[in-house]
Amino acid sequence: MPGPLPRAKSNAWWNRGWPYRVFLLRELSAVAVAVYIVLLLLLVSQVREGRGAFNDHLDLLENPLFWIIHAVILGFAQLHTSTWFRAVPKSMRVKLGGRAVPPEAMIFGMYALWVGASLVVLAAFLVEW
Amino acid sequence: MTTETMTVTLEVFRYHPDTDSEPSYQSYEVPYREEWVVLDALNWLKDEVDGTLSYRWSCRMGVCGSCGMMVNGYPRLTCNAFLREFMPGPIRVEPLRGFPVERDMVTVLDDFMEKLTDVKPYIIREEEQSLDDGEYLQSPSQLADFKQFSMCINCTLCYAACPVYEHEDEFLGPAVLALAQRYNLDSRDQGNEQRQQLIWADEGIWDCTFVGECSAVCPKDVDPAAAIQQAKVEATNNFFISLLPFTPPGMGR
Repeated sequence: MPGPLPRAKSNAWWNRGWPYRVFLLRELSAVAVAVYIVLLLLLVSQVREGRGAFNDHLDLLENPLFWIIHAVILGFAQLHTSTWFRAVPKSMRVKLGGRAVPPEAMIFGMYALWVGASLVVLAAFLVEW
Repeated sequence: MTTETMTVTLEVFRYHPDTDSEPSYQSYEVPYREEWVVLDALNWLKDEVDGTLSYRWSCRMGVCGSCGMMVNGYPRLTCNAFLREFMPGPIRVEPLRGFPVERDMVTVLDDFMEKLTDVKPYIIREEEQSLDDGEYLQSPSQLADFKQFSMCINCTLCYAACPVYEHEDEFLGPAVLALAQRYNLDSRDQGNEQRQQLIWADEGIWDCTFVGECSAVCPKDVDPAAAIQQAKVEATNNFFISLLPFTPPGMGR
């Protein structure tokens, strides 16, 4: 007599729909961010080597391959940021005046800070240019 | 064709523990009624076609949590999954994923029930106050801290949506952790330390990878993913506080 059917385990769980695929991409985005940190550290190390080495490195970064790599990393960084912004209200219970702050307000606040910081960086870049 | 004469195909998971070594799918044509839910179609099948079909159900109004099944691969309470959502069909009905199957759509819930019991989902007092002292008072703000977690009806849809529970036998799972957090957040409860050892362990909150689908499939809008992440933050805070040579005011456990 076979008895109860054992619980089924499938390694294809990630392909059961978009929420699962987005979860995997979200986790993968950490790798993209790590790769960017490595690229940034390489850039910094070239600064230490002197102006000539730094300019050579900048020339290398103008290679289309690096444009594509940076575009992919930028996409993953956006995903990383937006998914974790959505996660924050789930992990934090913030109360103001005894009342819970709505998740939407927390998410909006983080996006506002992000846009504000990006504008400051953009302004600094344009002034320098 | 009028809705009176329309039919829809139900592909139903069948498994009999006494005779089958493997499950199979059986197709049935059932009448289509705009107001019918999948549970109505199953009840029609059982009454009119095949009395051996086995599944759990009770209230038919999304309260008892008995009739959870996979409908077209998604965990649903079949009493609030309308046939019209899945037309023109076919509609595949299977037992909830992640559980052993007793027969047809009847899952074995022993593992869930044992884990639920282990986290002591009830109010624990170090010392009960006398009845003469009246009830334990609670402000609306204190109630709001845990109220949504108390809406859980133990339907286990969140377990069927959780790939971690599917693969990690020891994982306590979303509903159990949400209910543990529900009592930990209750201002009347003093059982936090009794639950900590279990829920702060690897097979408790730390096995959760925050896929988040547990919250998406919940028919009562409970947010188990939030309960687990909040417990992670508390456990982390507690760890760092324990490293301090003193206990900051109001932060001791």
